[in-house]
Amino acid sequence: MASEVALKNVDNACETAEEFTRVFYKQVDNSRHLTSKLYLDTGLLVWNGNGINGNDKIQKFLMDLPASNHVLKTLDAQPISENLVANKLTYLIQACGDVTYQNDDVKKPFQQTFLIVAVEGKWKIASDCFRLQVPHSN
Amino acid sequence: MPKRGGRIRNWKPNEHFEHDDRIQSNNTRRVSFKPGTNKGKNKFNSWNNASHLLLDGDIDMGATAGQGPNRKGFRGRGRLSSPAPRPASKKKFLPGLLPWYQIIIPYGAKHDKDVVLRALLGFISPEVFIPHYYKINGNAAVFYVDDVKIAEKLFYADRKIAMSDGFKLVVIVRNSVPNINVDAGMKEKMKLAMAKRYNPATKALDLTKFHSDPDLSDIFCALFRPVIMLAAIEIMAENIPDLEALNLNDNKLHGIEHMKILSTKLKNLKILYLGDNRIPYLGSIDPLKPLQLVELYLKGNPLVNRFNDHDIYVSDVRKKFPKLVRLDGVDLPPAIGFDVSEDVTLPPSQQSFLIDPAGQDLVREFLTQYFAIFDSESRQPLLEAYHETATMSMAANYLSNDNRNAPTNRLNAYISNSRNLVRITERESRRRYLRTGRLQVVSFLSDLPKTKHDLMSFAVDLLVFTPAMIVLTMNGVYKETTVAGNPSRSFHRTFVIVPNSAGGFSITNDMLFISNTTREQEDTSSSSAVGVAGPGPASAPAPAPAPAHDETQRAILATLSQHTGMNEHWSINCLQETGWDYQRALFIFNQLQSEGKIPPEAFVK
Repeated sequence: MASEVALKNVDNACETAEEFTRVFYKQVDNSRHLTSKLYLDTGLLVWNGNGINGNDKIQKFLMDLPASNHVLKTLDAQPISENLVANKLTYLIQACGDVTYQNDDVKKPFQQTFLIVAVEGKWKIASDCFRLQVPHSN
Repeated sequence: MPKRGGRIRNWKPNEHFEHDDRIQSNNTRRVSFKPGTNKGKNKFNSWNNASHLLLDGDIDMGATAGQGPNRKGFRGRGRLSSPAPRPASKKKFLPGLLPWYQIIIPYGAKHDKDVVLRALLGFISPEVFIPHYYKINGNAAVFYVDDVKIAEKLFYADRKIAMSDGFKLVVIVRNSVPNINVDAGMKEKMKLAMAKRYNPATKALDLTKFHSDPDLSDIFCALFRPVIMLAAIEIMAENIPDLEALNLNDNKLHGIEHMKILSTKLKNLKILYLGDNRIPYLGSIDPLKPLQLVELYLKGNPLVNRFNDHDIYVSDVRKKFPKLVRLDGVDLPPAIGFDVSEDVTLPPSQQSFLIDPAGQDLVREFLTQYFAIFDSESRQPLLEAYHETATMSMAANYLSNDNRNAPTNRLNAYISNSRNLVRITERESRRRYLRTGRLQVVSFLSDLPKTKHDLMSFAVDLLVFTPAMIVLTMNGVYKETTVAGNPSRSFHRTFVIVPNSAGGFSITNDMLFISNTTREQEDTSSSSAVGVAGPGPASAPAPAPAPAHDETQRAILATLSQHTGMNEHWSINCLQETGWDYQRALFIFNQLQSEGKIPPEAFVK
């Protein structure tokens, strides 16, 4: 049976995920020039298999994407054992929904998984894996 | 004689005899009339039936008016009151919407094709025409012409040409388009005809007047037919997907709505010639707007003539194709725009991302083994794969705007256990839906529908690869094997994996999202022929192929050496024994070391 502390951590992961995704998609859709602040300096973005390492490059990559509108439909979150990530509180967040890009105005289903860590009182994205739901067979 | 009757005339084969009467004796006339009528009627009927088949879907030019059983009586009266043959000038040629005309020569079968055509060509000289798809239908010869001028000339050739048998040639002209089914044989012919029209140096395909290609003379291959245009686009997409220039001049194109797929099929298409077609309005070319055209040719289409002011025409076309630098063969003055962000497109997606190439084999091995068990009869052996305190959660949702209502699209088996925090707001439920501990996790997984994953369809992203932790995300499709219809699902899944004390790895976090497959995903998975061959054997993961590059081997060697502390010689030995499979090498190392079978010199560097 899980301890009360562990259960509280589960509650917290869920609430943080709600708050985080609210902030994140607001930034990406409306204030993209500020989005990279949400990533660790050494953060990783993997966008449809394209890996972008580091805060600066992530900012540049995001700026080059067409304007977007994300609608969150499904959200899930789990705590990750703290001793895995340098004793920092770490959550795994999975956000799924539809995204519309300005270039073609078509609603596309997407799935996105974040690993966020608490650093000096702020939640930062350690890794962000974004995938549009498309066929991958090669 | 009412005008109406005049047009009917050429539908009645027995009229044939009326005309011929004039050059025959009365006696012959009487003798020939009766059987002739019968003969003619039979012929008329069979020909008429055949023509119905042939003309299925044609545009009716109103030629059927008055075509009833009482026509004969009506006609008879007309003849009585006016025994003289009606002058041909009473017939009027009505041009049709499409420039295709079917020419029917009743009794044309009596003559050789050459004789008929020479007679017609002689009559309309100096005009010439190409008879398309000449064939004998019952007693009639039928062919098509693709020019309204020729059709009109032939129309007036009716009963003007005396043939060697003394009869005058009846010529019926109808505005009608040949029907065709595109089958594999036809596609192959089209492909060959297209291949010889392709210029690989300029990546340009010239399909000008494609229907009159000598290699396609026996089939109706007119690109203005959507089914044929779509087949042609399909052939281009399959064989020359990097096509940059396409010439569709003079193909009688009219509606081009279906050509909107050009933008998805031929992403590099920059130059498009649509001259001398029948595109009626500027708005008709809207479906082509997604194409990033730099050159466009529209001259010779009705749409161009709708503009009184050529500058407005140019400006309106440019609004649709902002990147255009050449229109109708004329260079455009550079447009003055605003310095705002370009019309950006999404970066192309990649099949996988590996934060560390050294993780590749481990990931492949891990996924192969995991899904071999996951897809097997019993998921119980997965207990080994999960950490004692592992957590697992699954969320499921439907696709937006998915109007497929088949029972196979229902996600009930998942939704009832879905931990979607957007919907599940109670703390207690959120805790409960998070499966905690390997027993709970595997028991939950065992209750999910039986599956068959297609590993080739996976997009795998290795996000973290450190000695302490591996984070792995995959997207892909699977089929449910025990549900009627074997529905396919799309999933997104993340594993957090840590090394365990036994030298292997354990999953500490497993997060799964399930949805229906999009139509696009279904098309791909059915074309890659993922059979639902039943659950595969749990113990037979496909062997990882031996690394082909020395560089890869060096990387594996370095990783193994670093991880185990063994020197290069012993590391190579170990890897060679295991076919350069890092995971297996590591496993063997751990096993041998726990048994104390590795000599100390293996660690001397």
